[in-house]
Amino acid sequence: MANITAVGPYEEDLKPPVKNHRIAWDDVDRKLIERPSFSFRLQLILGFLLLFFLSMATIIGSMAAILQIQNKLRFVQATERFLFEIEQARRWEKNYFLYGTNLTDAAESASNAKILLSQNLKAYQEIAVQLAEQIVRNLDDYQNLLNELSLLDRRSPSGDLAKKHEIEIELRKKGAGMVEIAASLARTEENSMNDLLNLIQRIPIYALVAYLLLFLYVIYFLSQRFMKRLNSLVNSTQRIASGDFSPIIPVRKTRDEFTTVSVAINKMMEELDSRQRAMVESHKLKAIGTLTAGVAHELNNPINNIMLTAYSLLEEYEELSKEDMLEMINDLIKEADRSRSIVRNLLDFARESESVSELLDLGVLVKETLKLASNQIRVSDVNVDITVQPNLPQIRGDQQKLKQVFLNIILNAVDAVQKQGEIKIDVEQADSYGFLAVNILDNGCGIPDHILPYIFDPFFTAKKPGKGSGLGLSVSHGIVNIHGGKIHVESEEGKYTRFTVLIPTAEMPADISQI
Amino acid sequence: MKEKLDLLLVDDETIVLQRLKPALTKIGCTVETFGDAKEALRRIDEKVFDIVVTDIMMADVNGIELLEYIQKKSNRTKVIMITGYATEALAREAMGKGAFDIIAKPFRPDDLRNMIARAAAALGFKEKIRV
Repeated sequence: MANITAVGPYEEDLKPPVKNHRIAWDDVDRKLIERPSFSFRLQLILGFLLLFFLSMATIIGSMAAILQIQNKLRFVQATERFLFEIEQARRWEKNYFLYGTNLTDAAESASNAKILLSQNLKAYQEIAVQLAEQIVRNLDDYQNLLNELSLLDRRSPSGDLAKKHEIEIELRKKGAGMVEIAASLARTEENSMNDLLNLIQRIPIYALVAYLLLFLYVIYFLSQRFMKRLNSLVNSTQRIASGDFSPIIPVRKTRDEFTTVSVAINKMMEELDSRQRAMVESHKLKAIGTLTAGVAHELNNPINNIMLTAYSLLEEYEELSKEDMLEMINDLIKEADRSRSIVRNLLDFARESESVSELLDLGVLVKETLKLASNQIRVSDVNVDITVQPNLPQIRGDQQKLKQVFLNIILNAVDAVQKQGEIKIDVEQADSYGFLAVNILDNGCGIPDHILPYIFDPFFTAKKPGKGSGLGLSVSHGIVNIHGGKIHVESEEGKYTRFTVLIPTAEMPADISQI
Repeated sequence: MKEKLDLLLVDDETIVLQRLKPALTKIGCTVETFGDAKEALRRIDEKVFDIVVTDIMMADVNGIELLEYIQKKSNRTKVIMITGYATEALAREAMGKGAFDIIAKPFRPDDLRNMIARAAAALGFKEKIRV
């Protein structure tokens, strides 16, 4: 046994879909397009721009660091030269105190140091204003002391030893102070240079990590967005395949390249929707064709009765009693009525009418449908048994369209059973709450498993060419779908086929005013 | 030879039986009518009719089955088929199975009478049936 269910897109919750089938297509398309654009091209450009700016920042940062290192290096070198001059001065100074020589050399070295200091003063001030001032003061003091010493020397080269000694101590102190400060400045700069070097070494690694993260994010973000769009398109196509032609409605606040595809799909669905309507109509015409043959037969019976009765009246006018005549006239009226109701039945079904949603008694509707098919049933010599559960709630729907569904299934069943076949129809409360079920069971040839999944597809037919349009079940499916119901089929080849049509009861609010 | 033509009329439309019985009796037939084909079959078991006029589309037993049944009983009986749905295939099937003729609904009483007269002639009742 196999079975297959054809359902609308709202299968899970079994709620009658609130559908508005005559949608303002243009309105939806406009809503789709009017959203601000955030295209994938823009997203790609933004991603690349972000990467570009990040690379720029890295490069500029590195360049700035290198420049800074260069400056610091120059500073350290200058400081070293300064230190060299100071130390040179101090060596001359020491010679002077030991041997009385080289005082002018010391003064020269000190003034060299002064030149170097004034060249780098700005840099020193940047590092530490106090230290820079201190070193300048120290150097000035140092030079002054040397000048004082040379003045003293000139006055009395060997006199005033106490004063000289005092100056010597002062000179030592200033010299050592200068050396210390300069060395400490150089050390500070060296340290900060080392820090910068370390940083420069690490920048490429940081940058790589940042690039990687950014890449991953951009890829993830873009692909996620991309896949979401693709998936929603795939869902839409599946929805279309199941016969739901309602348009794609904007979900996001922005539009992108896929919006164009959505608009195109909506265009296609609009087209499909109108084709579907045409298909329902053309299938109805086909059903009318089938019925007409039966009606021709059925109509011949009352016409024949009228003809025979009229001729009898004509032939035996003189001999007939009043009672006989009255009986014959009543027969004429009765048979004329019968003809009228046969024709009216077909015309009711055939009449091209706007869809109307009304409260209907499903049992009565199925019985009326059965009457429509009664000639086919008689011709095929099929036994039909119908049971309607009493006190069923009413349903809401389009009488003509629902009749088309049941007629189609019943005629299929009549086709499927051999002579003296059995068709059993049950109209009852369905297992799922709020639904009525119409079961149509026949003991006919059944549907082979391999074609069962396709029977609701448009233009699929298992009948011989020219016998079936392949539209019947597809159209029926569409109609049931619109009513918020579903069609279910179960079959075993050679044994039976059971179609179950579920239609929601009228208690459930279903907006099918615009089927 | 018998005076009258024994005729069996089978149709599930009672008006057909009611109107045709006097119409055919008038031309010299002894007419038996059945609205139920099964009862007609039982009667055929009991009696050989000269002519059987039967509807094709009937519940339970259809006209073709009746034709086949009659032919098993007697090859002398002429069977005229009435059809409300005269398709070529059905006519061919009935003729192929040895029906005398087919008459399509709606028909006038004279149409059937003429056909019965021809059948009677074929059976040798030339003088008896006047239309």
